[in-house]
Amino acid sequence: MKRFLETGNFAITEGAILAGCRFFAGYPITPATELAEAMSLRLPQEGGVYLQAEDECAAMHMCIGAALGGMKAMTATSGPGFILYADPYGWAIGCETPLVVLNSGRVGPVSGITGAPGQGEFYLTRYPTQGGNFETIVLAPNSAQECMAMTVEAFYLAERFRMPVTVLADQLITDGFEDISVPENDGEMKEMSFRVWPRKINQGPKFYPPSDEIDIAPVVLGHNTGALCSDWTPTEEGYDIEEVEAHHKHAYRLIYKVRNHRDLFSHHYDKKFMSDDPDLIVVSFGTPSRVVNSAVAKARSQGLKVGALRLINLWPFPDELFTARSKYLVVELNWDGQLVREVQRAVPKDSKVHFLGICGDLPTMHDLLTTFEKIIKNEPLSRRGWELEAW
Amino acid sequence: MEYKASELISKYLRSRKIPSTACSGCGLGMNHKIVVQAIQELGLGVEDIIWGTSIGCAGRQTFATWKGDGFAGTHGRVYAIARGLRVALPPEKHLILTVGDGDAFGIGLTHLIHAARSNANMTVIVNDNLGYQSTGGQYGWTTPQGSKTDSSPYGMFEHNLMSEGLDVMHILKGAGATFLARHVSMDGLKAVETVKKAILNRGFSLVHMPYPCPTNFASRELGSRNQVNIYRWIKDHAAPLGQEKEDTIWATGIWYDASNSRPEFSQMVWDTVDKIRRTGKI
Ligand code: SF4
Repeated sequence: MKRFLETGNFAITEGAILAGCRFFAGYPITPATELAEAMSLRLPQEGGVYLQAEDECAAMHMCIGAALGGMKAMTATSGPGFILYADPYGWAIGCETPLVVLNSGRVGPVSGITGAPGQGEFYLTRYPTQGGNFETIVLAPNSAQECMAMTVEAFYLAERFRMPVTVLADQLITDGFEDISVPENDGEMKEMSFRVWPRKINQGPKFYPPSDEIDIAPVVLGHNTGALCSDWTPTEEGYDIEEVEAHHKHAYRLIYKVRNHRDLFSHHYDKKFMSDDPDLIVVSFGTPSRVVNSAVAKARSQGLKVGALRLINLWPFPDELFTARSKYLVVELNWDGQLVREVQRAVPKDSKVHFLGICGDLPTMHDLLTTFEKIIKNEPLSRRGWELEAW
Repeated sequence: MEYKASELISKYLRSRKIPSTACSGCGLGMNHKIVVQAIQELGLGVEDIIWGTSIGCAGRQTFATWKGDGFAGTHGRVYAIARGLRVALPPEKHLILTVGDGDAFGIGLTHLIHAARSNANMTVIVNDNLGYQSTGGQYGWTTPQGSKTDSSPYGMFEHNLMSEGLDVMHILKGAGATFLARHVSMDGLKAVETVKKAILNRGFSLVHMPYPCPTNFASRELGSRNQVNIYRWIKDHAAPLGQEKEDTIWATGIWYDASNSRPEFSQMVWDTVDKIRRTGKI
């Protein structure tokens, strides 16, 4: 095991390399630029290719091309670039092309604040492209070390499900320096629960079965298998067809291959102080969860029965984690409240769900502790301007 | 050498997709045949070529016609997909893209220019039906000036890429393309010879091939769906380079041939990766 004091971007790069990624295409954007730079340094050393694209749309399309040629590929960006992925993301979903996308969130909308963390793309990562009729997979790490783990996992899931997988991080995780351990062999990879799935080559002639099966090799061109892929509704052989029934079969597959294999994500969450039916469950993901965890530990020492539930697998949304009849507080790095809407939907009917939104910075321990206390004591939340806005 | 269409079809194309669902009288099939015949004359096999297509008449009607491996990209982005694919494919595989004018010169122009800049080995055949015909017939970036289309009912009056001395070829040449040519569908065997050269260039090649669309373009601009009229109209407005007349829109022939003169993109990428691996620098 090699140890480093390095950034999340470094960890993602090493994770990608461990997962077998040998192609990265990107377009410079704060705060994902450092990842592109790290890839441009490291990939050639590992026999891989770094390419700079004319825009994010081209970057992800280039990754599609590399993936179609049999390479494991990745791209990375921030919110303003992520919206330019809409086109290729949809194509990769439809053609079932394994890819990994990293989004390091900053403050939006539009260019917003470039060097500050935000979580404004919770829903955008669920619906990164038009048309609906698909599921997406999104993983949200909360540390540099977990960035590496989730990058490896994203490549694993991308191969098994034949689809793009998004790692949703934020500026603080990707830019911040932390202790990072990089495994040096298969044994150490196993020790860290890193799973790797090799790229396989679909031999055809049926490339798109109308079922929810996973572990089907993706279309790889250049092996003269007669492989076909396109943006149109595919027949099983990949021919284009314009027919609602055929499209329904295709969409069924895109939706249910993910929904029916939820067991593959079941370990993607983190619970703290959750075993004694807490009075208040604090829900978060990504960097804010670190402050939440500290605040919950502090609250416990003060006798408040608070628990923390951190989501790592954001999509498909883990409804099964929200069975407790309790009070909930959702902490997010945005002011409009996104995760809170999903939590509200998933909790038992009579549960009260509160929202604490902060953007561009992390919530303070003080903010969190006073909010916990007030909710538990059924006191109204004091309103300090928009920071504690009712959702 | 003239080939019977049936021979070419049985050797290279999927019977399921031929004939295509193009309107009757469409000139796209002539362009398609020119490309397949060039492949045949070069002695290439089904396994030697990956065939990519775009959206629109040209893309949809040629998608999955090739017996071997094929793909259709999102509108205008196939040139970016092709660059990634080029890096991943063995260098001996040929990448042929049959696309439309809206795809190449409109929505995809940035990506096309960057494909030319990188000199990635691919042969782009731009099948130009003079506008957006699969959406009913709106003007595009090579629609002759003055043409009446569904979105230019008074005549197309904007500057475009084929008017007033402008030619999209200049842009592509400036961007770094190493082989550029233009033919109209009726150029037949002359066009076949050109496409052969385009395929043999280990770099970015583009052949612009205007073809007759009797259904949408001709019915609006010429007031007739009779294919003879639009075939004649295109032929009359084309002339070999150097022999252009007053009313020539398309100067045909090889525009620029710098085949194999600039390092090819994927070759350069892999050579560089290899050097960095061995020496730590380039
Ligand atoms: S609309 Fe025109 S170009 Fe398109 S298939 Fe019909 S005739 Fe051909």
